[in-house]
Amino acid sequence: MTTICDEMDNSRRMRLSRKARIALFFLVESVVALAIGFAALFLSFGPGWSAERPQPAVLKPSDARSGSLLLKTDDGYTDALRLGVDVDLTVSGPTVRARVTQIFRNPTQQWMEATYVYPLPAGGAVDTLKMVVGDRIVVGDIKERQQARAIYEQAKRDGQKAVLTEQERPNIFTNSVANIGPGETVLVQIEYQEPVQQNGNEFSLRVPMVVGPRYNPAPVVQSVDLRPDGGGWGSTATDPVPDRNRIASPVLDPAENAAINPTNITVRLQAGFPLGEVKSHFHQVKIDSPDSTRRVITLAEGPVPADRDFELTWKPAAEKAPSVGLFREHVGNADYLLAFVTPPSVEQARERPMPREVIFVIDNSGSMGGTSIIQAKASLLYALGRLQPNDRFNVIRFDDTMDVLFPTPVAANSANVANATSFVSALQARGGTEMVPSMRAALSDNNREDADYVRQVVFLTDGAIGNEQQLFETISALRGRSRVFMVGIGSAPNTHLMTRAAELGRGTFTHIGSVEQVDERMRGLFAKLENPAVTGLTAKFSEATADMTPSAIPDLYRDEPLVLAAKLDKLAGSVEIKGRIGDRPWSVTLPVASAAEGKGLSKLWARRKISDAEVARTTRQATPEESDKTILALALEHQLVTRLTSLVAVDKTPSRPEGEPLKLTELPLNLPAGWDFAKVFGERPRLQVAPTERRADGGDARVQVASLKRSPVVTTPPATVPLPKTATDAELKMIAGVIFLTVSLLLMLFNRRQMSSPR
Amino acid sequence: MPRFLPPLIFALIGLILFGQGAYIHAKALLAQVLLERAFTKTIATGHPVKPWSWADTWPVARIEVKRLHVSTIALAGSSGQALAFGPGHVEQTADAGERGVAVYSAHRDTHFRFLKDVAIGDEIDVTRGDGKTFRYRADASSIVRFDQSGIDPAGHGHELVLSTCWPFDAVTSGPDRYLLHATLIPAGS
Repeated sequence: MTTICDEMDNSRRMRLSRKARIALFFLVESVVALAIGFAALFLSFGPGWSAERPQPAVLKPSDARSGSLLLKTDDGYTDALRLGVDVDLTVSGPTVRARVTQIFRNPTQQWMEATYVYPLPAGGAVDTLKMVVGDRIVVGDIKERQQARAIYEQAKRDGQKAVLTEQERPNIFTNSVANIGPGETVLVQIEYQEPVQQNGNEFSLRVPMVVGPRYNPAPVVQSVDLRPDGGGWGSTATDPVPDRNRIASPVLDPAENAAINPTNITVRLQAGFPLGEVKSHFHQVKIDSPDSTRRVITLAEGPVPADRDFELTWKPAAEKAPSVGLFREHVGNADYLLAFVTPPSVEQARERPMPREVIFVIDNSGSMGGTSIIQAKASLLYALGRLQPNDRFNVIRFDDTMDVLFPTPVAANSANVANATSFVSALQARGGTEMVPSMRAALSDNNREDADYVRQVVFLTDGAIGNEQQLFETISALRGRSRVFMVGIGSAPNTHLMTRAAELGRGTFTHIGSVEQVDERMRGLFAKLENPAVTGLTAKFSEATADMTPSAIPDLYRDEPLVLAAKLDKLAGSVEIKGRIGDRPWSVTLPVASAAEGKGLSKLWARRKISDAEVARTTRQATPEESDKTILALALEHQLVTRLTSLVAVDKTPSRPEGEPLKLTELPLNLPAGWDFAKVFGERPRLQVAPTERRADGGDARVQVASLKRSPVVTTPPATVPLPKTATDAELKMIAGVIFLTVSLLLMLFNRRQMSSPR
Repeated sequence: MPRFLPPLIFALIGLILFGQGAYIHAKALLAQVLLERAFTKTIATGHPVKPWSWADTWPVARIEVKRLHVSTIALAGSSGQALAFGPGHVEQTADAGERGVAVYSAHRDTHFRFLKDVAIGDEIDVTRGDGKTFRYRADASSIVRFDQSGIDPAGHGHELVLSTCWPFDAVTSGPDRYLLHATLIPAGS
C-alpha cells in the first residue's frame, strides 16, 4: 500500500518539478533573449536585419543631409550622362544636306550605354553614320534591322564601342551608343538628305529638335489572329502602339529643371537665285551674306536647348519665285531627275466658287496645353470668320472624349457661327488624345449625293500620338469624297503624321508654330481651301523610261509646287506634265537634258519610293510582304535607314575591360516649348522628376526655360519616389525561434522519458 | 551525452533567432525613448539634436494619432538604419506643412503597426522640429508597388502620406506598400 502511495506521491512530485522546470526554462530563455536584444542595440548596427532601400534614390550634393548618407547613395551621380548636338545644314538648290553630330560625354566613373530618341524631318533620308572615338573614325554600314541589332549587341558584350541608328517612325530615330568609358566623349554623326519645301513664293526647311511625349491609347481595338492550325481558336491582342516603349523617353519638367541637350545650328544657304528675305521663325539668328545668292545662318546667342523646332524660310529677291526647277544626278548606271513645277494661279473661271461643307476638328488634349491651345483656338476662330453664308460647317472637339457641336453640318449663318465661336472659346486643354474616333466622325459623310458641295475636313492638332498607323488606316478607308487638311500646332508637331495624313486625305499640311503665325498661315490655308485644285495631273517622258515617284500625282492646291522624282535610263527628250486647274486644261513641257547638276537626288528618289511603299501598305494596295520587300531592296541599294534597316558602326578595338559592368542610360528630353507639363503628365505624373529646387514656386515654365537658356546645362536625372522597404523580419525570426525552442523542449522531454522508462 | 546535444543546439539556435527578433522590437522601443528626449530638446533649442552620439540621423517630426493614443518620432531619411529606430521622412519629399507631399515611412510591425487601425477621417498631427504642429485628416488609403508609388513630391496640394509594407500580417516582406493619404486641415478651422 505504502509503496503504491509512495510511487504516486513520487510521480506527482516529479510532474510538478517538470512543470516548474519548463516554466523556469521559458522564463530564463525570454530574459536571456531580451538581454541579448538590448545588449546588441549598443553593439552593432549592421543594416542586414532591417529594411534596405529598394533602389538608391538619386541624390545631389545639395540634398545630402549628412556625409554618410551621401556616401551610401552616391549612385545619384551615375545617370549624369551628357549630350550636346550640333546641326550643320547645307542647302544647295533644291536639296538640304544635314550633318547632325551628337556628342555623348560620360563624366561618371562607370561604363555607360546611352540611348537617345530624336526626331528628323519626315522626308529625310538618313544614309551615313560615323562614330568618332579619340582620333579614330568608324563608318557605319547599312544592315537589315535585326542583323544590325545583333551586331550591336555582340559588340556591346565584347566591350567594343558601337553605335546603332534605328528608325522608330519615319520621323523618329534612336541612337544607341555602347561602352562609353568613364570620362570619355564619343561623337556620333549622322547625315541625311531632304528636299527643300516650297510654298508659293517661299522656300523653307525645318529641323525638328525634340520628340513631344506621345499619347498612346490603351489597346481597346483588338483584332483577332486566327492561326490556321489553331482549330478556330486564336488570340486577340493588338496593341495600337506595339513599340510604345521605344518612342518614349524620360521628360524633364521645365518648371523644375534647367533645359538640357544644348544644340547648335548652322545653315549654309545656297539657293541658286538671288535671295530676298531670310527668316528664322522661332530662334534668334545671325545672318551673314557673302554674296547675293548665299547666306550663312548661325544662332545669335550660342547653343539653345532642344525644345522647339528650327524653321528657316527664304524668298527670292525677284517678285516671283522661279516656277520651274529641274535637277539631275548620275549615280551608278542610272540618272535621277528632280522636278519642281508650280502651276500658275488661275483666277476663278466660274462666277462664284462652289459652296463648301467644312468640318473643323480641334484637339483639346493635354498635350495641347499651354500656348498650343491658344494657337489652335485662334486659328479655328479665324476659320469660322472666313466661312461664307452659303457654306455648311460643323465643329468637333476631342481629347479622350469627343463632342460634335451640331448633329449634322449646319448653314454658316451668323447664329450658328456665333454658337460655334462661343463653343470654341470655352475649350480647355486636358485629357488624352483619342484621335481616331474624331477623324471617323469628321469623315462620316451624310450628304454623299450632294455633289454641289465640296467637302473639307480641317484638323487642328499637334499629332502627339503613338498610333499613327491606325489614323492613316481610318483616313484611307473612310475618306470618300472628303479632303483632309492638317493644321499642325505648336513648337514640335509630329510632321510625319501631318504630311502622311494630308497625303492620304488628298489635302495639305499647314504648320502654325506661334500665335503670330496664325493669321498668315491660316490665310494661306484658306487660299488653298477656296481656290480650285490642280487635278488629274500626269507626267510623261518622251524618250526615257522612267520610274517615277509619286506614281500617281496628287492634286495640288494654290501655291503648292509639284515635286516629281524619277529614275531614268537615259537623259534625253523631255517630260510633259498635264493637268486641269479648276476646269481649264494646263500643261508644261520640260527638256530633260538641260537639267542642272544636283546632289543626293538618288537618295531623295529612294526615300520617296519607300514612303510610297509604306502608303501602299496602309491603303492595302500592296500586301505587307510585297511592300516590305520593295522597301528593303531600295534601302539596301541606296544605303538608307528605314523601318527595316539600321546603320551600325563598331569600333573593332575593344575598350571596356572584361568584368566591368555596363550601365544603360535613356537620355531625358526637354518638354517642347510652350507645353504644360502638368497637362501632359497629369497631377500625379507617370514620370517623376527629382526636383532641383523643391520649394521654388514653379511659375511660368516658359519664362524659366528662357532665363536658363544661356546657363550651363546642369540637370538632375528623373527619379521616382521609391518607397523604402518597411517590413522587418522580427516576427519571422521570433516565430522561428519559438519553433526551435519548442523542438528542443520536446527533445528534452523525450530524452527524460527514455531515461526514466527503463527504471 | 550526445543525447543532450541536439536539444541544446536547437535551444541555442532558437534563442539566437528569438533574440534577434526581440532585438528589433527592443531597438524600436528603446530608440523611441531616446528620440523623444532628443526631439524635445530639438524643439527647445531649435537645432537638430542627435539621439545618441554616433547616430547618423536625427528626429525631425512627431506623428500622433490622438484617437489611438499613438505617438512616434520620425527621423530624417528612410535608410534601413533610420527605419530601425523610427519612421523615416522619405528623402526629396516635402516637409510637413509645406506645399507638396510629405512622405513618412515606417515598419509595419513596429512604428506603423497602428496604421491598420487608422480610419478615414482620423486626425493625424505632425509636429515639426521647429515646434509647429500641423493637423491632417486621413482621406484615402491605397496599395501600390514600392516603385510605382504615384506620389508627385512636388504636387500642388498640402498632403501627407504614411507608408508601410502591405499586407500587415505577412511574415515575409513583399513589394506592396500600404499608403495612407491625408490632407492638411488649414489652421484655424
